Amino acid sequence: MILTGSEIIKEREKGNIIIEPFFMKQINPNSYNYRLGHKLKIFLHFKNGKSRFKEIVIPKEGFVLRPKQMYLGHTLETIGSKKYAMSLIGRSSMGRLGLFLQVSANLGHTTSIHQWTLEMVALKPIKIYPGMIIGQISFWKNYGNVSKYSGKFGKFNDPQEFLIDKIFIN
Amino acid sequence: MEEVGKGKIKITPFDKKRITTNSYDLRLGDKLIRYTSKIMDPKKEPKFKLMSIPPEGINMKAGDFLLGSTKEKIGSDFYVPIIHAKSGTARMGLFVHITADLIDIGSFGNATLQLYATLPVRLYPGMLIAQVSFWKPQGKIILYNGKYQNSQGPMASMTHKDFD
Repeated sequence: MILTGSEIIKEREKGNIIIEPFFMKQINPNSYNYRLGHKLKIFLHFKNGKSRFKEIVIPKEGFVLRPKQMYLGHTLETIGSKKYAMSLIGRSSMGRLGLFLQVSANLGHTTSIHQWTLEMVALKPIKIYPGMIIGQISFWKNYGNVSKYSGKFGKFNDPQEFLIDKIFIN
Repeated sequence: MEEVGKGKIKITPFDKKRITTNSYDLRLGDKLIRYTSKIMDPKKEPKFKLMSIPPEGINMKAGDFLLGSTKEKIGSDFYVPIIHAKSGTARMGLFVHITADLIDIGSFGNATLQLYATLPVRLYPGMLIAQVSFWKPQGKIILYNGKYQNSQGPMASMTHKDFD
């Protein structure tokens, strides 16, 4: 089951959902509109099997993403839940402008609480602004016992690139 | 199907044979939007060209990005719709949405499809292109009353309205 907007408000008040900062006007009928944080990582090159990124702060007057290149952004809000699973996607207004937000991994782990990294790929040059509403997150009821997420990305608030050293370690 | 009969799910036109085991197949409407703005700026109204798909079809080149729409108007005041590609569409190399698959409860209209071709593909009006599934909500329902309500055909982004 997917939580309605009013249920998201209720569960946040109970502490079962974390969204900080939170504004009522960003509530949708069955999701919450999140905003774009200020930091952006730009891909530089691929060397010895590793990708290198450069970090910038998105200026107030906006920054143009070049097509077919991947950028890493992050949500302005700290978002998470110890009770619900989360699906983080772009909003239709941005998809309609040709911006992929989350390339294919939209599912968030229950119990991870942080500023989420956004994978952004533009199909046409597109301007982004810090703090703009850029996507939405929905909350889903889990079936079964919830164990704690102990993965490698849960603690990151800044845009975080892939950690190749850790992917094969179990 | 039962929920369509009770009016809890709206799909028009509705045809029983497009029901799948857990979704409904959607057809492509006959209008397309191609943006003509050089740089997409969410603060400005985008410029675009509206085109019709002729019965003999229209080609998309690999890398083309167009907005289309479903031929059906869909929505529900009781369930949350989610749009998916048909696996056949995806296997052709065509994305039908690139990020926003989730529809607000209470919204009704032709769903806009974000068509992105990774291979050359040919689009025909009325072809089966997508599917919609309906999900049970938890909590009190407050219906959508946003800027895309009652969409007719593909709708360009109205994100500039958020900055007014």
